[in-house]
Amino acid sequence: MTSPDGPAEPARAPSPALSMRGLVKRYGRTVAVAGLDLDIPAGSFYGVVGPNGAGKTTTLSMATGLLVPDAGTVHVHGVDVWRHPTAAAPLLGVLPDGLRVFDRLTGPELISYAGLLRGMPRGVIEARRDDLLRALDLTPAGATLVADYSAGMTKKIALACALVHAPRVLVLDEPFEAVDPVSATAIRRILQGFVAAGGTVVLSSHVMALVERMCDHVAVVAGGRVLAAGTLDAVRAGQDLEQRFVGLIGGEQADPELTWLRPSSD
Amino acid sequence: MVATVVRLRARILRHTLARETWRLVVLIAGALWALSMLPSVAGGMVWLSGQPAEVAHDVLVVGGALLVVGWTVVPVLIPGLDDALDIDRFATFGVPVRRLVPGLLAASFLGVPTLFTTLVCFAPVLAWSGHAPAGALTAAVAAPLALAPCLLGARLSTGLMARLLGSRRSRELGAVGGLLVVGAVVPGVVAVGALGIEGALERVPAVATVLGWTPLGLAWAAPAAVVQGDVAGGVLRLVLAAGWAVVGVLAWMLLLRRALVSPPARGGEVRRRADSVLPARDLVGRPGLVAARAVSRRALRYWGSDPRYVNALLGAVVAPVAIVLLVATVVDAPAAVALSMGPLMAGSVGWGRHNDVAYDGSAFWMHVSARVPGWADRLGRAAATLTWGLPLTVVVSLAGAWVAGRPDLGAAAVGAALGVLGAGLGVSAVFSTVLPYPVAEAGASPFVTPSGSVGASMVAQVVTSAATAALSLPVLVAYGATLWWNPALAPVTLVLGVLGGAGVLLGGVRVGGRIFDGRAPRVLARLR
Repeated sequence: MTSPDGPAEPARAPSPALSMRGLVKRYGRTVAVAGLDLDIPAGSFYGVVGPNGAGKTTTLSMATGLLVPDAGTVHVHGVDVWRHPTAAAPLLGVLPDGLRVFDRLTGPELISYAGLLRGMPRGVIEARRDDLLRALDLTPAGATLVADYSAGMTKKIALACALVHAPRVLVLDEPFEAVDPVSATAIRRILQGFVAAGGTVVLSSHVMALVERMCDHVAVVAGGRVLAAGTLDAVRAGQDLEQRFVGLIGGEQADPELTWLRPSSD
Repeated sequence: MVATVVRLRARILRHTLARETWRLVVLIAGALWALSMLPSVAGGMVWLSGQPAEVAHDVLVVGGALLVVGWTVVPVLIPGLDDALDIDRFATFGVPVRRLVPGLLAASFLGVPTLFTTLVCFAPVLAWSGHAPAGALTAAVAAPLALAPCLLGARLSTGLMARLLGSRRSRELGAVGGLLVVGAVVPGVVAVGALGIEGALERVPAVATVLGWTPLGLAWAAPAAVVQGDVAGGVLRLVLAAGWAVVGVLAWMLLLRRALVSPPARGGEVRRRADSVLPARDLVGRPGLVAARAVSRRALRYWGSDPRYVNALLGAVVAPVAIVLLVATVVDAPAAVALSMGPLMAGSVGWGRHNDVAYDGSAFWMHVSARVPGWADRLGRAAATLTWGLPLTVVVSLAGAWVAGRPDLGAAAVGAALGVLGAGLGVSAVFSTVLPYPVAEAGASPFVTPSGSVGASMVAQVVTSAATAALSLPVLVAYGATLWWNPALAPVTLVLGVLGGAGVLLGGVRVGGRIFDGRAPRVLARLR
């Protein structure tokens, strides 16, 4: 399964778009990711679900070259992300969660900036920038600084930045957080088109219904490990994803009652 | 409410000190320094008590005014000093500002600078006790009124700056600021140049008399008036000082009220029609150059519109001027002091970029994700600073030579300045990837100190200033030789400065770029 290091190995069998092996990350004494293995098949629409603090963001950051793993390897289409970062970077489009963007630029400028950082020619950037703005319905906000954008608009512009260089694998951390339903539909259409054209999408979320509706593969992550992974139907095993998830994570907790939390009491 | 706020401040202080050993070290060092200064303050006062009342008046009024100016200007120039409770934190509790203000004022006494200044404000009691008991009594009454403008000046200046910088009208603001600096510095330089620094010092008594009637000096001038028999004048000054203190508190309250309902970051919207990041033409050559140009364009936008950059720019320009003016009053070599202005400003501009990456904050991930070549990232940042820093240092160096009355040394001054600028930027290109330390986040007030940064920032600042000084040494030696030994060496200094500065800068871009390539994700991890 592990592919040899080096560029463009011949496409034998379905080689995974993203392959993580033994990923470990510790913060002091806390182990955020504890030896995680995961293969994302090429052309899949992959959902990573897990409770808060499961290590989703840490894992995706290590998979995309943003966070140095303490141990383990990551390959994107056979290229080692940490040994050949400059070869891996063009293959990956990243939407991190909780990181800022250069918000003193306008939306269009930010997309151009993302393209220029990757050394793209101006004509290509200009055309794609305008396409992306139209597709994400950001053209009306074109002259506003990103600092003045709402949270959902910022998410959309960051997604545009992840797409501008036409990567082969898109890794999106919580792409639908704070995004309104209309925009979510637009984003979903874009992502589905990308997968239909042979691209791979990996996204994290804790909204089960959303993952169930969009993704064909899913991995359940908790405590820095993969509890279950595979096609959506295999993981669900006849239940709905939410039930299965709760079953895997360890049952519902009895909720302690806040008896004083009543509008009438004082 | 007062007790609650003071207890809160004390608790925050205790937790910060427990978490950050370096801050404790700084606090103890500051306290020791303040203690060591007290005998000389007291000694000065005893000496003044033996001087004529006019001399004591001039010294105390000018000294007191400088104290107020220092309290007002230094927190703006050196962000991160102001550790006052941030008013925004109180926004959700619905406490009226009127009830918060006494607590916030009282809480500021939990700091070395305020305690030290309080003692300094009471020190004139010593000086006037030698003249007349009434003078000492007036000085004791005046002391709180002398302290008030210090504390309020600091609050008002940082509060106003944060608001002004926070509004998105920074381009206009930058222009106004530039005009103010030019408007204040140019006449000052011309006046000092015309009078000579010796001549300027002879004007002190006249200046002191005027200052004695401004909020800066009222409280310091009151005891002198009483001692000289003008009791009515003394009382009038005290009343005026109290009036100004009330005005100051009201202004501060107004500012706090504004800050509570509309945080400074939410300024008016700026609308930009054109995409000014996308260049008009493609660059032929290495793809890294495209990235470098984009980085430099983006950085230039930030220089004009991000409060933290605008503040750093003002600091880099104003601090050297302030240092030179202060040194000029003490050192008896006015020409040398004026000639050092260019290299000093070059140093503060170049060295000031030693933490450049940290200003990107977590947005730096875009560079990491794209794997921008390290040299391109370094080059772009340096180019943006050079765009304004290069003309500035050249003009200031030439102005310094002209004020010193040595236009023949202009070329040497420019050479020295460019050499120092290159050294500073080269060192910054390396160390902004090696030793980044946290700064205020984008959109936050530039005057907030992020926690956990004191130790790291001290190490980075000491290392980078030592490295800049070491790399500047050759050109500074050549400059010194031109100045004191043989003016014919001016062309040598110019060539050495230009070539050496360019060499160090390019070397820094290269070395820093290689380190960047290996460390960029680790740098990002330190910035989030």
